Amino acid sequence: MIKSFFKITVLVFFLKGIPLCSQNCDFILSGTIKDLHDGSPIYGAVIRIEGSDVFAQTQENGSYILKALCPGSVVFLIEHAECNSVRKKVSINANATLNFELEHHINALEEIIISDNQLKVLNGNAKESRLNADQITRFSNQSLADALTTLAGVSSLKTGNAIAKPMIHGMYGSRVGIIVNGIRLRDQEWGPDHAPNIDLNAFQSVQLVKGAAALKYGGDTPGGIIVLSPHKLILRDSLFGQTIINTATNGWGGSLTSKLMKTTSNGYYVNGQLTAKRFGDLSSPEYVLSNTGMKEMNISFKLGRSKISKGWELNYSRFQNETGILRSAHIGNIQDLLRALKEDKPLRIEPFTYRINAPKQQGLHQNIHLIYFNQFNDELKWKLDYNYQVNSRKEFDIRRGVPLDVPAIDLRLQTHNILGSLQWKKGFNWEMELGINALLQDNYSDPNTGVKRLIPDYIKTQLGSYLVGSFKPSNSFHWDWGVRLDHVGWDVQKYYNVSDWKSRNYNTIFPQFEVDNVGTQILVNPTVNFLNFAAQTGISIELSEQFNTSFSYVLSQRSPNASELFSDGLHHSLATIEFGSLTLDKESSNKFLFSLTKTQGKLKGAIEPYFSKINNYIFIAPKALQQTIRGAFPVWQYEATDALLWGVDAVLAYEFSDRLNLDINASYTHAQDMKNELPLINIPPFNSSQSIQYSSPKKRIDIKVMHHFTATQNRFPDLNFSVTTLQEDGLIEQEVDVSTPPSAYQKVDVFFSLYLGNINKSKTSLRFMFYNITQSKYRDYLNRMRFYADEIGRNVQVQLVLSY
Amino acid sequence: MDKTTILYTKNTLLLILLITISSCSKDTPEVVNEEELITTIELNFSTQGEPDQTVRWETEAANSAEIVLKSNTEYDVQITFLDESDPSDIENINAEIIEEADEHQVFYEFSGVSVTYGQGTSDALDSDQNPVYINSIWNTSDANSGVVRVFLIHEPTTKSSTTRDGFGGETDVSVDIPIRIIEE
Repeated sequence: MIKSFFKITVLVFFLKGIPLCSQNCDFILSGTIKDLHDGSPIYGAVIRIEGSDVFAQTQENGSYILKALCPGSVVFLIEHAECNSVRKKVSINANATLNFELEHHINALEEIIISDNQLKVLNGNAKESRLNADQITRFSNQSLADALTTLAGVSSLKTGNAIAKPMIHGMYGSRVGIIVNGIRLRDQEWGPDHAPNIDLNAFQSVQLVKGAAALKYGGDTPGGIIVLSPHKLILRDSLFGQTIINTATNGWGGSLTSKLMKTTSNGYYVNGQLTAKRFGDLSSPEYVLSNTGMKEMNISFKLGRSKISKGWELNYSRFQNETGILRSAHIGNIQDLLRALKEDKPLRIEPFTYRINAPKQQGLHQNIHLIYFNQFNDELKWKLDYNYQVNSRKEFDIRRGVPLDVPAIDLRLQTHNILGSLQWKKGFNWEMELGINALLQDNYSDPNTGVKRLIPDYIKTQLGSYLVGSFKPSNSFHWDWGVRLDHVGWDVQKYYNVSDWKSRNYNTIFPQFEVDNVGTQILVNPTVNFLNFAAQTGISIELSEQFNTSFSYVLSQRSPNASELFSDGLHHSLATIEFGSLTLDKESSNKFLFSLTKTQGKLKGAIEPYFSKINNYIFIAPKALQQTIRGAFPVWQYEATDALLWGVDAVLAYEFSDRLNLDINASYTHAQDMKNELPLINIPPFNSSQSIQYSSPKKRIDIKVMHHFTATQNRFPDLNFSVTTLQEDGLIEQEVDVSTPPSAYQKVDVFFSLYLGNINKSKTSLRFMFYNITQSKYRDYLNRMRFYADEIGRNVQVQLVLSY
Repeated sequence: MDKTTILYTKNTLLLILLITISSCSKDTPEVVNEEELITTIELNFSTQGEPDQTVRWETEAANSAEIVLKSNTEYDVQITFLDESDPSDIENINAEIIEEADEHQVFYEFSGVSVTYGQGTSDALDSDQNPVYINSIWNTSDANSGVVRVFLIHEPTTKSSTTRDGFGGETDVSVDIPIRIIEE
């Protein structure tokens, strides 16, 4: 495989020739950079040629000059700490004047004025999309998953409205990595009802990489990775900040977020950020969704010094939330579930309140991160990251005879992570990075809950090493590749019911794990090890002025997570008993991604088909019924199959004029369990969003109407079971339909932004957002609460953004 | 190149440190005492001129003996909820249910037999004077055989219903016990 890529590389190299330096490199480009809204010059903006070290900075009057440029086509990147970056492709064949307009991070809904951000392949071949500061601002009081669903190929797996997990190409949880400031987020990512502990407001950009191209962060994410990056630094004296105030009618709540950053010319910087959110019960179009309130309080702090040659940073963040779970979704047995399914409305509808009762979740995530880097010379740089994360999670159920403040699940997960890397750069063409990553994770499950541990106590170690590189002989060709090897070890202490241990034959397969018999339970100490290999390669080629294409292949291997191996307990929202399996092996995924992009002209677009075959795909499936004192319960157990997933993501944009734009985003996913010849569960149905946007001159007013369509998922496995109900003349069996997906739906959102200019030295803008404006009543296949209640109805949100 | 060597040494040292930390094993975890467990249902039937009859439903066996009652007879029925997970410390849950009477409801559903039931003589009442049916009076009619489904409902939406669906709430107990009514 690699050999043939190399051939292509060489071929393209020769086809394109090496004309860049054979001609006179003496062209001069100059111009000014101004504020888009008021035309004031922007001081300190950096204009650079991408992929080179050629750059210039603007003077106080906004002017810049770049000298000694070679002829050819290059991409300019214009950056300023307080503005959105702009990228422009320019063909240089004469001295020229080129003026740019930058936009402060407050008003626009689009990152880039010159070209549309969603259509761009930003970094090599990894299929990448990006949310910029303004889009993050728009989702300031929502979750990471909500913000990401605006990108093609991303869905969100929800439990109610506030608990949302991003899903890429039909995969979520441990198959999707979330990278915070260069380190993988380590919370209890395996649970479908655990939202990532992330405050979007602490970041400047959110990047989505479909396919596991970033082997630096791990080789076990066949779905893709989400990279959250903080503010870019500027080496000059400045103080800037932003405050966002949100209020919303659905849930009658709001959020406040504020951040401040101080930088100095000698490289020191300090940054603080704070977010508070509070919402009461949400409402569907027809009724209150009782006990769906939430509150959240987050703080982050950063201190560092960055010089060209070396730098350090200390970083702390704290995320704390409490989220109510729809009261009606807490059920005792499958007859209760059947009753809920028969009803059109939730069985409990109470008046609106801010109070959050059980069932609810409480999360606390703290993160300390130390970074040091040193650049020896132009070619070599090394970097060391140490990161410590503590994730506490408590879940409260409706319980009998137990004080209200005793949780049913109480987990504390601590993770130490060390990442050392060495980067090597040769000219503009070759880049390589070698790294070594060690992880130590300790999970503690508090026994004082009075409920059998869902996840046992364990120590997990991981030792990995990667080598990634890229070769870019010209602006029109890029090749990247990487390999990674990880060793993962589990040392677990778990109590099994003796009957479960025996019925699974573990007493004959794993007698060496047995430690102690304690009445009806047995203490075992399983030690499980995995060796995972990952590899990736891809090329991207500029076919013409207008078209780019890329192809990439990713092999990823993932060892089963704590839940897949060891989970053991009752789930109240679906009345199921869930069991992990000790016999699971690692999962291997082969994924191919292709893209064709049109980057210029009135019509722009991209089409991105992908195909992945996963051996040993781990999933949970119903096994049997277990008789309990609450009646018969379906027992679900993790097992492995071979799966095939393919799909297409597409984006299309049409520019009617400078002021009027049309955007269409669509994606389709097809997933099949090949062994059992059944569709996989929880795969997003076809969905699309189309929006039309009008901007007034100078973008003072911006109006966007967005229509969402989600089709019915017709491909689903039949996992129905039956329950016996009592009638006058005997017992009859009734089917509990937990499989049939809800019908297709549509909804419309309207956004209205107003740029108010400077008020007390702050650039101010005001937004009105109307979500689900037509009160569309619908249920979503990927929401676990769909059995109980409709999705939320109309929400009017007012947002004030002050940047200073 | 020297510096690179230093870097590798540093990394190696860190790794050794990490591996040393990781080789420490954890303390043995405590066994969890399940606090809400009900393992056993006991139904006691008494009527004049007959010996008392007790039927037990146990989780381990997941079934029980048959209840045998006489037709057209009135029975005093007492239900007892037990946690027998630790044989040396059997817990009677009734006191807890009576204490939280507002949040609990016992309910019987019959199939194949005709039995009516009402408030027992020393029954527990909730704050609205609704019977919890810890103690109840059953009146049998004709001879027949069928099933009685015994429910303990937690946080019912209403306390006065005649069907399981009508009560709402979550099911804490739902067990089927065979019942036979014989001629007097």
